[in-house]
Amino acid sequence: MSDVMVRMGELAASRSPGKLVTLGLGSCIGLALLDKRTRVAGLAHVVLPDSGGHSEVNRFKFADHAVPELIERVVALGARRPMLEAVLVGGASMFAAIGSSMEVGARNEAAVRERLAKYRITVVAAATGGNRGRTVRVDPITGVVLVREAGGKDTQLYPKLRILQEVA
Amino acid sequence: MSATYNDTQLDALRELANIGAGNASTALSGMLGRAVDLTVPDARLIPMANAVEAVGAPEAEITGIALGVDGDMPSTVLLLITPHDAEGLCRLLGLEPGSEFAGSALGEIGNIVGTSYLNALAVMTGIALEPTPPATATDMLGSLVQAVLATRAAYSDDALLLDSRMTVEGEGCSIAFLLAPDHGGAGQLLDRLGVS
Repeated sequence: MSDVMVRMGELAASRSPGKLVTLGLGSCIGLALLDKRTRVAGLAHVVLPDSGGHSEVNRFKFADHAVPELIERVVALGARRPMLEAVLVGGASMFAAIGSSMEVGARNEAAVRERLAKYRITVVAAATGGNRGRTVRVDPITGVVLVREAGGKDTQLYPKLRILQEVA
Repeated sequence: MSATYNDTQLDALRELANIGAGNASTALSGMLGRAVDLTVPDARLIPMANAVEAVGAPEAEITGIALGVDGDMPSTVLLLITPHDAEGLCRLLGLEPGSEFAGSALGEIGNIVGTSYLNALAVMTGIALEPTPPATATDMLGSLVQAVLATRAAYSDDALLLDSRMTVEGEGCSIAFLLAPDHGGAGQLLDRLGVS
């Protein structure tokens, strides 16, 4: 099963073995929604926080439309809405020095969190902010979310890996 | 309402890109003391979702130098240089790659190349273009390109890219040059050329 690429302003939901992938997130947010028991996941590539006044373009690039749409899509595939967990990746500031436009990352994260709170969905893990780009891979079947930075390796962001301390 | 451009307008933008890039490569040549080759510049209107891959492999490590542009045509100039070529350029300037000065030297290259490009456009069309100081980052190509395009994404589902490539003769170092105007910004340029 091949992976599904979720590019700028796109979103996808799946209950198939292929991973949902977004390569090189900068200021954008990769929002993953998971229902581990029913093995359904969704991934949205949110570009901007708010659609105010821009209804004529693809709405799903904006946090205010992307969040409810992604919820609908995973629920349509059998995910149980009260059981949904959210994982956020991205929202970095790639070029800090060129000013206001580059606060988009932080504003994206705030907007996505605000929408999720409105729908009572808990953010269970996040790799956000800073000034590094990130790639995210979501496996609908296992519910595992992997994150990678430039030149690095995939690391498991969720579920959190517990170090076995109490072996005795 | 997404920005659309007909063939005549895209041809006019290509011609502008040609003049801008010509001026920029002359400036780069002067700075480095080497001849600089220029590929034929292009003007492309690309659906936002395809834009990153139209520029390069999303996870490729690359150094980006970004300049904001204020004035009559709000835009961003983005220069992309592979780490290998960035080292080559630093050596040409007599700097140790990775040294404290290497980053600011690359920023300065971006400044000179970007400003020369914009000056040519401003002279040609009479519109005001004011570059802001450069910012440099080394990261995944996708993250850098996406961050530049995101700030312009509210108004259009398409990205207008004026791109060209400059190669330093004998060294094989090349710089990819991108100008991404805000929606409506290119309309202003085209108005001045009488092809709106």
